[in-house]
Amino acid sequence: MILFEEVSKIYADNQVALNKVDFHLKQGEMAFLTGHSGSGKSTLLKLVSLMERPTTGRIVLNGNDISHIKGNDIPYLRRHIGMIFQDHRLLMNRTVLENVGLPLLIEGYSRYEIKRRSLSALEKVGLSGKENSFPIHLSGGEQQRVGIARAIINQPPLLLADEPTGNLDPKLSLEILSLFESLNEFGMSVLIATHDLGLIAKMRYRTLTLREGEMINDGLLRERNEY
Amino acid sequence: MSINMEGNKKLSGSPRINKVSLIGRIKSSLGQHTRQLTASFTELWKTPFATVMTILVLGIALSLPTVFHVLYKNVERVSGQWDSASEISLFLKKDISEERVQVLINKLSLYKDIETVTYISRHQALEEFKEMSGFSKALNYLDENPLPAVLVVIPVKSAMNTAGSKLLVAKLEREQDIDLVRVDIDWIEKLQAIFYLVVDIVIGIAALLLLSVLLIVSNTIRLNILNQRSEIEVLKLVGATNSFIQLPYIYIGAWYGFLGGLIAWLFTFILVLWLQSGVMSLTGVYQVQFEIISLNFQESATLLGVGALLGFIASFISVKQYLVKIEPK
Ligand SMILES: Nc1ncnc2c1ncn2[C@@H]1O[C@H](COP(=O)(O)OP(=O)(O)O)[C@@H](O)[C@H]1O
Ligand SMILES: [Mg+2]
Repeated sequence: MILFEEVSKIYADNQVALNKVDFHLKQGEMAFLTGHSGSGKSTLLKLVSLMERPTTGRIVLNGNDISHIKGNDIPYLRRHIGMIFQDHRLLMNRTVLENVGLPLLIEGYSRYEIKRRSLSALEKVGLSGKENSFPIHLSGGEQQRVGIARAIINQPPLLLADEPTGNLDPKLSLEILSLFESLNEFGMSVLIATHDLGLIAKMRYRTLTLREGEMINDGLLRERNEY
Repeated sequence: MSINMEGNKKLSGSPRINKVSLIGRIKSSLGQHTRQLTASFTELWKTPFATVMTILVLGIALSLPTVFHVLYKNVERVSGQWDSASEISLFLKKDISEERVQVLINKLSLYKDIETVTYISRHQALEEFKEMSGFSKALNYLDENPLPAVLVVIPVKSAMNTAGSKLLVAKLEREQDIDLVRVDIDWIEKLQAIFYLVVDIVIGIAALLLLSVLLIVSNTIRLNILNQRSEIEVLKLVGATNSFIQLPYIYIGAWYGFLGGLIAWLFTFILVLWLQSGVMSLTGVYQVQFEIISLNFQESATLLGVGALLGFIASFISVKQYLVKIEPK
């Protein structure tokens, strides 16, 4: 699903965010991406979602080399990636239903179809009945689930989450993670960036560890604080 | 939480660019356009005060060129009526006899482009002059009448334009007994020269005003875009193309221009009504029939179209300048 070959990212100010990173996330696989703050987790996800371009190296997304993709093609590629952010990135002046339906609106679905599928996506994340609320009136956990509903509404084959539990208490965090687990069970590939090792430890998944832009570990974390 | 995915097939599909059929794309884009057109109109009235202010400013900027156009159209029409030699004075040589004058009068009366010929003898001319000038006593001391006899010629209507009267004048100048031909047309030509100079200045001002419409709309749209930066970023993140995101802004720009044009039309209409009442009292005095012609249907449509087009161009510029460059972080 995602293949990185010697991928480096150096920002404009000569900040090396990723240094020759190699890894392969197989289709249908779920993995964690961890490391200290500033180790390059967000940068890695941004390279996949084409918010940043690699300085060197090759990135293949489901068989397509995206290292040199044209700017005009980026929107269409993003439609096949569900993205979840720590700060949710919801539109505060739109209802939950409108937020969730955004990816379908963009693709030109009918109003009826958008509503039907948005309601069904909200049901999947356990937010039935909140469709007409505005995000500002929801709790952090609820807002995050609106973000997840939006990310999965057009059933992307890949889900990227950047610190999805960053602002949530441990119980809510686990709930969100089990949501990812069940999405993964239905075949979605999932890559979750988090620095919450306690959370990772509770679940037995492959974990990619970054330190100062280098991939220092790939596999199950055996102990806490391994990085 | 139960997960119930529909169409699992799609999950294993590769993320390739969706190819939708052409007809499907046209249909969906037409639907999107009409949806956006109405949605952007509603969007305008979410900030009614700002919108009304913007539209009023645009209306004023657009109404000045429009009013100029109406005035130009009417002045042009009127000067077309004035652009004529209503009278040609023929000063006769002093030493010709009454008989020769009569022969000349008879000859001129036969001209196809002359309506009437009126004879003012030297004696009559002097009497008239005495009366008008009040120098009657002084003039009595003159040995000889210094004034020539005059034939006042009124050309037929068809010869009353500049070209026709020039032809007639040339013909008259060839007559032996005529000393001088004077046409009361010079001042009209001078007036016209001034008028065209004013028109040039006004065209310059109008161009500046239209440019200001562009600037006002593009600045308004620029502010809209910058205010909604985070919203634009989110749309791009979930896969919206630039053309999808920019559509509402371009429509809002076109609406501004269109509504500005509507205000300009209204201003012009009111102004013409007001001028008309002034002209009515004036034409009453001069006993001529004159009506100010306002914008016709085609001109009104052009005004609205130009407004919408200017708004469209302005917002398009802003969108290309700002919206396209916004990238999600
Ligand atoms: N847009 C940017 N411009 C310059 N440097 C950046 C930018 N984004 C991130 N960085 C730097 O790159 C490194 C990796 O950042 P990031 O990928 O955000 O790490 P993480 O998500 O693991 O905290 C950090 O040193 C950060 O300061
Ligand atoms: Mg980060």
